[in-house]
Amino acid sequence: MPETILKVNGVSKTFSSKKVDVKAVNNVSFDVKKGETVGIVGESGCGKTTLGRCIVRALNSTAGEVIYKSEDGTEYDLQHIDKKTMKKIRREIQMIFQDPFSSLDPRMTVYDIISEPLRANFNLSKKEMEERVKGIAQKVGLNPSYLKRYPHAFSGGQRQRIGIARALVLYPRIIVCDEAVSALDVSVQAQVVNLLKDLQEEMQLTYLFISHDLSVVEHISDKVGVMYLGRMVEYAPTDDLFGKPLHPYTEALLSAVPIADPTVVNDRIPLEGEIPNPANPPSGCHFHTRCKYCTEKCKTEDVEFVEMEPGHYVACHRAKELKLKGII
Amino acid sequence: MSQEKQKKDLAPNDTLLNEKELKKLEKKRAKQEKYYTSSQWQLMGRKLIRHKLAVISFILLTLLYIGAIFAGFIAPQGLEDFSATYSNAPPSKIHFVHNGEFIGPFVYDYDITYDKFQNKVYVENKEKPYKINFFVKGSSYKILGIFKSDIHLFGVDNSDLPEGKDKVNVMLFGADQLGRDLFSRILIGSQVSLTVPLVGTFMSFILAIIIGGISGYYGGIVDTIIQRIIEVISSFPTLPLWMALSAAIPAGISVTKVYIFITIIMSLVSWPGLARTVRSKFLSLKKEDYVLAAKLAGVSDFKIIIKHLVPGFMSYLIVNLTLGIPNMILGETSMSFLGLGMRAPATSWGVLLQECQSISNIANCPWKLIPVLFVGTAVLAFNFLGDGLRDAADPYK
Amino acid sequence: MENYVVNVEDLSISIKMDEGILTPVRNVRFAVKENETLGLVGESGCGKSLTSKAILGINDKKCKATGKINFQVDGKMLNLLDLKFGGSEIRSIRGKMASMIFQEPMSSFSPLFTIGHQISESVRLHITKDKKKAKDITIEAMRKVGISNPEKRYNQYPHEFSGGMLQRALIAMALVCNPKLLIADEPTTALDVTIQAQILELMKELQKEFKMAILFITHDLGTVAKVCDRVAVMYLGRIVEIGSVMDIFKNPLHPYTRGLLGSVHKIGGGRERLFSIEGTVPLAMNLENKCGFYDRCTYRDDVKCSQVDPCLREVEDGHFVACYLDSPSQGKQNTR
Repeated sequence: MPETILKVNGVSKTFSSKKVDVKAVNNVSFDVKKGETVGIVGESGCGKTTLGRCIVRALNSTAGEVIYKSEDGTEYDLQHIDKKTMKKIRREIQMIFQDPFSSLDPRMTVYDIISEPLRANFNLSKKEMEERVKGIAQKVGLNPSYLKRYPHAFSGGQRQRIGIARALVLYPRIIVCDEAVSALDVSVQAQVVNLLKDLQEEMQLTYLFISHDLSVVEHISDKVGVMYLGRMVEYAPTDDLFGKPLHPYTEALLSAVPIADPTVVNDRIPLEGEIPNPANPPSGCHFHTRCKYCTEKCKTEDVEFVEMEPGHYVACHRAKELKLKGII
Repeated sequence: MSQEKQKKDLAPNDTLLNEKELKKLEKKRAKQEKYYTSSQWQLMGRKLIRHKLAVISFILLTLLYIGAIFAGFIAPQGLEDFSATYSNAPPSKIHFVHNGEFIGPFVYDYDITYDKFQNKVYVENKEKPYKINFFVKGSSYKILGIFKSDIHLFGVDNSDLPEGKDKVNVMLFGADQLGRDLFSRILIGSQVSLTVPLVGTFMSFILAIIIGGISGYYGGIVDTIIQRIIEVISSFPTLPLWMALSAAIPAGISVTKVYIFITIIMSLVSWPGLARTVRSKFLSLKKEDYVLAAKLAGVSDFKIIIKHLVPGFMSYLIVNLTLGIPNMILGETSMSFLGLGMRAPATSWGVLLQECQSISNIANCPWKLIPVLFVGTAVLAFNFLGDGLRDAADPYK
Repeated sequence: MENYVVNVEDLSISIKMDEGILTPVRNVRFAVKENETLGLVGESGCGKSLTSKAILGINDKKCKATGKINFQVDGKMLNLLDLKFGGSEIRSIRGKMASMIFQEPMSSFSPLFTIGHQISESVRLHITKDKKKAKDITIEAMRKVGISNPEKRYNQYPHEFSGGMLQRALIAMALVCNPKLLIADEPTTALDVTIQAQILELMKELQKEFKMAILFITHDLGTVAKVCDRVAVMYLGRIVEIGSVMDIFKNPLHPYTRGLLGSVHKIGGGRERLFSIEGTVPLAMNLENKCGFYDRCTYRDDVKCSQVDPCLREVEDGHFVACYLDSPSQGKQNTR
């Protein structure tokens, strides 16, 4: 049994302005084991990107803790450690971004982009640095002769490879992929997904794969968390989640996935209405306004995120009684 | 990757392609590789060169600045030369043929008569040609304040001048009230008129980067205070503000000091707009993913500013600076024109135009408006160049 | 001859650039019948959007289109490319006979006017000058696309609408004049899955009601499988395969179509590697006379494929492919 490498514990992030407080992430907890891929799915505005940024501490969360267990077994709470330790830990948790165009500085050569993290963290000689950058470039499928070029010479897929190389050059242990393949064309998407899987095996990486694309998540993840309005509503091993979801929202979400096969007719479970305003979420279970299984209790009582089956967490009052349909 | 593959694919076909085609392909590839490895500034340059108007403007401006640097050498007269005889003389005509004989460029002296309003009337005296020679000795000057010389590019050969007669001059743009060659004075004046904007812009650039950078980087209350100050400053109408500030220049100080004061005034008035540009660029660049990536990689804040943010908005800033220069040229000219800027004995385009304040002067000596052409040319050229730079500023879109 | 709404023949588009002539669309031919949905599938830069915009004559002036775009107007076929660029004839077709919905609903509406005003604009232009009548027609269209309480919504501004609602409003705007042809350029790409499904169902329903032809442009094979009757696959400015949706998904013949289908992960399909097409799409400039997919093709014949760009040929009834490969079983099996 692999050890737990990351423990997200009650993380919340509230964006406050003069008039309203928006709880973008609300009390989210889950564990990530070493070497596995955890997918986070949800529709736009559900807080998945904010959650990812809180975990890498690009944002400071307003509550909760993120416990990271480093190689030697020491545990650090990423939300509360001092700057110096953070700098040391930071190189072990890296990020890959969605937009392959805005994530690379157009004014730097590919070599400078990939070597920047090295220069910031280590005092390597020129030769050592060159070797390391070339090695990483080769690993992600970039021709080392391209290192002199600027990002404008590359297509989206190749740029994403550069972004991956930059994230890998510090030999991190966890990588947060924020919609890392969403902006790419289908065939390129497949190339990058395959690359990420190969790299995971080779470098024993742990991925946090944030995406709205359920089929990619299903393909790459070992466990999947579903978010709705800032809360995590279900977290389970991939097959469990897609096979027998326990939350009505997951069920509706799965039924809406378009399948590239004209013979498959999926009977979609329609979702009533629209996503409520996150600044003013509904009482009780946030999903009750659109849930067809909604009862009085759902409208008034807050739900807890509980382990219904081993490893399968859900936040629904009626999880026990409902028989929901999956798609595998 | 695709390129490498293409190369591989070419191999079995080598026999099909003759050498010429291969060379052509090789050349194309090298050209492409050059494009791929060219930096932002190189890409900007490539784009700018395609903007014809900007290129022409750039050449014009280069000529103007060369004129300013070598003003002492190109101008036939020095700053302090004058001649009461030739006051308000019209532009000299350059002749080549004297008495049916070609003798190279020369000018005639003037016979001076008076009309009924007691205005001087200049008529060419066609008896004796005064040859124009190149590299003649004249009044001494310094180039860039260092190299001393008294050789002028061209001038009239006055070696066989009858005694007691004033020197004959070549005055391409005519003369002013004190008989000073306008061409020479425009060149010498451009030393002020063209450099005050440059130095002023540079100063406001420094102010803008520091103040705008602080405002954009720290945000919060510092940002609010700075923004309010900027708003207050930019709400003043410029002309009265210049007047008020230049009224504070003490009288009777040296030319150099006046110059410095004017430059400071110009930059004090123009930095707020630039600071705003810096701040907004700072804010938008701060949100770019690559800045976050650098942060996550552990790059320090200072390095992020120097390596990512400043180069990011530098091109925009240069555009804004270029487009700000015309305002300064006009500002200096109008201040001097109103007598608030440079004062005699120093000169600038604005000072030269002071003589145009009276209608009769313009009516009798229309050549005194020639400095306006220079002001206009410089202003337009900077505007066009700024335009071209703006189009080229973001080569990635 | 069948009852085509639009019949595109040998459409080519070229753009003159400093570096050479870009030909993003080359010899494209397809036709869409009444009540039929044709999917135009391909990756970014394959020319699918330019093709659709050429039908409406809304491409940039730099894009030179040649060939024929025959459009059925009052029972007669009219070549749209003969019409003057931006002239009154093409404008009367645009909006009334053929209309378009775009990917970004947010940027398709002006924030300065109410939704109702913007939708009724084309009614007032093409159907009636009467403002009251135009409003009634608009409200009816808004109701049809499932906007609840359209009387109230009529006077609201775009920022008061959510993304899904705005896309519905955009569809209402496109359909308000009962066009014969609806061009949908990635209409659901920017939307979340649940809303995406709603919009697709809505489009199907409306098609039944209005009997219009839909040209559905997308890169998402999942939506194609759901809504299209026939599918045309584009690569590097050419249609490489065209056929019924069953033909394309169940019996893909072109190596590119197979690669594309193989790259899509199917839920429940296990964890094995995805099939991926090697390399990248070349730039459609100064193309040599060889199959556009030659460099990336795993089935290629070094002699045949490298010398002539294959034309579309009919393999089965209504199933065309531009490839020299003889049968689908030839070459390596698709990973699927």
